[in-house]
Amino acid sequence: MSTLAPPMATGDVETLVGAPMSYWRTVAWRLRRDPTTIVAGALLVLIALAAILAPVIAPHDPGAGSIRLRLAPIGTSSHLLGTDEQGRDMLTRLLWGGRMTLLTGLTPVLVGFLLGTVLGVLAGFVGGLTNTLIMRTMDVFYAFPAVLLAIAISGSLGPGLWNTLIALSVVFVPRVVRVAESATVQVKSLEFVAAARASGSGVWPIMRHHLLANVLGPVLVFSSTQVSLSIILAAGLSFLGLGVTPPAAEWGLMLNTLRGSIYVNAWVPALPGVAIFLTSMAFNLLSDGLRDAMEIRV
Amino acid sequence: MRRLETVVASLFALLAFAGPAGAQGTLRIGMTASDIPYSGGQPDNGFEGFRFVGYQIYEPLIAWDLTRSDRPAALVPGLAESWEVRKADPTKWVFKLRRNVKFHDGSPFTADAVVFTWESIKKKDAPHFDTYGSAQVIPRLASLKAMKKLDDHTVEIETNTPTSFVPYQVCYMMIVSPVQWQKFKDWRKFADQPSGTGPFRLTKLVPRERLELEAFKEYWNPSRRPKVDKAIFLPMPEPTTRLAALRSGQVDWIEVPPPDAIPQLKAAGFQIVMNTYPHNWTHTLRLDKEPWNNKLVRKAANYAIDRVGICKSLLNDTCAPASGITYKGHPWYGTPKETYEYNPTKAKELLRQAGFDGASKRPVKAVHLISTSGSGQMLPLPMNELVQKNLKEVGIDIDLQPVEWNALTQRFRVGFTGENAGMNAWNISFNFQEPWSAFGRFFHSKSVVPASLNTMPYINPEVDKLLDEAAQAFDIGRQNEILAKLHEIVVDDAPWIFIVHDLNPRAMSARVKGFVPPQSWFVDLTSVSVGK
Amino acid sequence: MWAYVGRRLLLAIPTLLGASIIVFAMVHLAPGDPMSAVMPVDASQADIEAARRMYGFDQPLPVQYLRWLGRVAQGDLGASIATRRPVLQDVYAALKNSLVLALSASVLSFGIGIALGLFAAFQRGRALDKLMSAVAIVGVSVPHYWAGIILIIIFSVQLNWLPAMGAAAEDGVLEYLKHMALPTIALALIPLGVLTRVVRSAALDILAQEFVLALRAKGLGRAMVFAHVVKNSAPQILTVLGLQFGFALGGSVLVETVFSWPGTGYLMNLAIFQRDLPLLQGIILVLATFFVVLNLAVDLAQTLVDPRIARH
Repeated sequence: MSTLAPPMATGDVETLVGAPMSYWRTVAWRLRRDPTTIVAGALLVLIALAAILAPVIAPHDPGAGSIRLRLAPIGTSSHLLGTDEQGRDMLTRLLWGGRMTLLTGLTPVLVGFLLGTVLGVLAGFVGGLTNTLIMRTMDVFYAFPAVLLAIAISGSLGPGLWNTLIALSVVFVPRVVRVAESATVQVKSLEFVAAARASGSGVWPIMRHHLLANVLGPVLVFSSTQVSLSIILAAGLSFLGLGVTPPAAEWGLMLNTLRGSIYVNAWVPALPGVAIFLTSMAFNLLSDGLRDAMEIRV
Repeated sequence: MRRLETVVASLFALLAFAGPAGAQGTLRIGMTASDIPYSGGQPDNGFEGFRFVGYQIYEPLIAWDLTRSDRPAALVPGLAESWEVRKADPTKWVFKLRRNVKFHDGSPFTADAVVFTWESIKKKDAPHFDTYGSAQVIPRLASLKAMKKLDDHTVEIETNTPTSFVPYQVCYMMIVSPVQWQKFKDWRKFADQPSGTGPFRLTKLVPRERLELEAFKEYWNPSRRPKVDKAIFLPMPEPTTRLAALRSGQVDWIEVPPPDAIPQLKAAGFQIVMNTYPHNWTHTLRLDKEPWNNKLVRKAANYAIDRVGICKSLLNDTCAPASGITYKGHPWYGTPKETYEYNPTKAKELLRQAGFDGASKRPVKAVHLISTSGSGQMLPLPMNELVQKNLKEVGIDIDLQPVEWNALTQRFRVGFTGENAGMNAWNISFNFQEPWSAFGRFFHSKSVVPASLNTMPYINPEVDKLLDEAAQAFDIGRQNEILAKLHEIVVDDAPWIFIVHDLNPRAMSARVKGFVPPQSWFVDLTSVSVGK
Repeated sequence: MWAYVGRRLLLAIPTLLGASIIVFAMVHLAPGDPMSAVMPVDASQADIEAARRMYGFDQPLPVQYLRWLGRVAQGDLGASIATRRPVLQDVYAALKNSLVLALSASVLSFGIGIALGLFAAFQRGRALDKLMSAVAIVGVSVPHYWAGIILIIIFSVQLNWLPAMGAAAEDGVLEYLKHMALPTIALALIPLGVLTRVVRSAALDILAQEFVLALRAKGLGRAMVFAHVVKNSAPQILTVLGLQFGFALGGSVLVETVFSWPGTGYLMNLAIFQRDLPLLQGIILVLATFFVVLNLAVDLAQTLVDPRIARH
């Protein structure tokens, strides 16, 4: 059950179309006032900046490693966070790895958001056979838990960046479709939509307005909750050897290759996981804040 | 409430401090295989299958002598007491079988068992044909054509063409008990309750989890009756898992500990056991395309590798530098002209002679396919990165393309065609236990893919001639001489970048005694005992 | 309501069929050759082709699919290429282990999660609520495979209290439990976080409803309010419970890999890398079927608790 946007006066279309902006302004205002959201947002900005600027700020070359300096502990001079099993600087690879992890984490959710919204709204709006076709197909994919589906598809396609993106997108699209369809159906059933239809004025402007507030909203919030899962899954796939391939720097892959070294130097292998954890948590806090600000329960 | 707390506390105490006890005389081994090797006769999982299942439960007619460390394992009588080729018709060999040998099920070992086993591998329409086992072992029995019973204790083996390599093939055929098979008439069921003549018998098999063997009290050779009562094998494909299992006392012996952990294992009182054995870690080069079609360039590459560096700094001395296919001390080593020690100056000089300038003019460029893991592949990624670095230092630029191990072996089998058309080499490890696996399958012109594994392709009529000669040399001394000469030629041709020989490191608890690491892929577990 | 039940059951069939097509397509359209994965490295291409013909892997795909489907309908999932054992047997053994792990992780996370969630809701706004919520968010954000590694580092490597791998089912119940401890904790973290948050949120919703205030004004005791909250949030919680159990079972791959726990996830990993197609197909199909049934059960249970849902 989603709470709808603040009620607005029925009137001509222009007034209605004018209304959404103040809704989003309200959301923004609420976001600004929540300290947790601010902190999470700041953390994410930091992480994103670090990832984007990695080529500039990284102290070393991510591929360059001296075998003799393998698994240097945290705090070694010139290798602040130690070195990995091939002697490559951890700080550098964490920075570079962020790009890969963020890419593989965010892209599928974005694809899911776009494709899922389109499919879901279509299914909800048109109804009938189209709806059945789309929703039942989504159900089939939805029957598989995210992890299983991602691994099964990845396992079939093989490792590699593109295959990972495809696999994860296939995981997220059905979920977004469900949320979008459900919200669209609810909007469609609103009384004043029926009234507008009865009176003969166009349904589309009304639909458009409500779609923005009442469908996009829940979908956006839902998608934001999936980012953390996507990041964990993407890293997880690389961890299993199914995602990004060596010698690329990616947090999940680093966890995998460093795993063998926990008996030699326990804490360097833990670092990529810390990175995944912090990023994931920041996204979760942000999506919480978004949800509270939009007063949506998904 | 009080009682609950006590129960919880004592439960926790129990959990925290109770440990799994190793029964007296039980040997527990952590293998690198990810599953229990096939126990129905002809093992799978490569040589680890032979090592822990095949040669423990079963025996071939001719066996490996695994009791000595100081020289490569040689062939000795197994279930056959003696064998000899017929002078009149060298395609026929007469094997005299050992008497008074019993299978685990009690039935006697006779020529019938040999013929039965042969048919299970070769006779497709026989009710006892083992599709799976046959697929595993057939590549190793290429020259054998037929086996015939002459009487209860004599068998005649016929080959396609006369070849002296027969013993080297016969040693891979495990003899199974026909009587036991007839009880089930199904190889899967037989695999769960197999019967061979080996020093151990199978008592329990949990797929993918556990194999339990017990000493076979009526084993025919009293000097090889096992000292332990039980041997348990656990598949542990992850090196960290094996390490954890050894350190926590869950197993007594692990194959291939992570090299990084060796110093701390030694410090904690574990034994690290190694020996040279017939293993090669190399880059097999493509000889019909630039840059490796130029012999000088190939030699240059071989002089550019700091093998000692790889072994010392990366692998904690668990490997030895390789300067050929076999190693010094091996009867097939000979005295090759090129010694391929680490000499970047010489490498650069050779490249200059070949017309490659490295710096501005023509640098050498190549694409090499490597794997990310795999049995026998050691630590492919770090090792290859070192190799890449070494080569770059002399002006050879190789681009490494890692693929998953299974993918690599599949692609390797089809050679440098199709999707591999752009590749210049592959990094796969090989064994060289017998002349075929050392030389025949790679360097004979008849072995060009897809017939066998000559992917390069290496065509040298002189080598062909020597290989054919060796196959006709029925005297082992003469055979070794020819093979040594062959080796010298191949080393000079440098169709591979020879890098290292693995030393098959094993880690075991101090309680494990009596193990003799042979120069072989296989082991003899009968001399091992586990103290308190 | 029975119409609803009937409809849902009927819908499950095309879902399962669709799932089987996806499973088959995924596995067979994948690159790579199953035959050469299980042959010795020494085998030449000629040997592989011969083996392939022996196994009959050269049929066209739709034919293979229908044949496979036919056998599946009779309960025969084929035989694993690697072990030649019936796939069903392998999967069954692995499923048992995964279920044990998933169940214990679920029990652990549900118990603690629901308790924390309710507690947080009733302590709304105060310090303890903030603490619970923080714990919950940490739980949800932590990559469980990484948590597994950390647990191994602390409890196996450094303290040597608990074993790091395997299930050791043969060594007795105690050993099994010891081996189960760390993987269970690792697997329970995310569901714990999710449940705490969902329960807290649902409980708060209900507490905020006007008639609850009215009830309290009338003098209804704490316990009754509590019971009311529980009853009303049940459907929503039930859905989440189902989903999270599904996550624990399906998501166990990552944890099982870290701990070498011989469950379906571990088996699936093995099947993928060995290109053991029949096994891979079998595992995914069994799991998918399990989940369709699970979702169905959750839906039906929801209907029982709150018949209003059935009207949709």
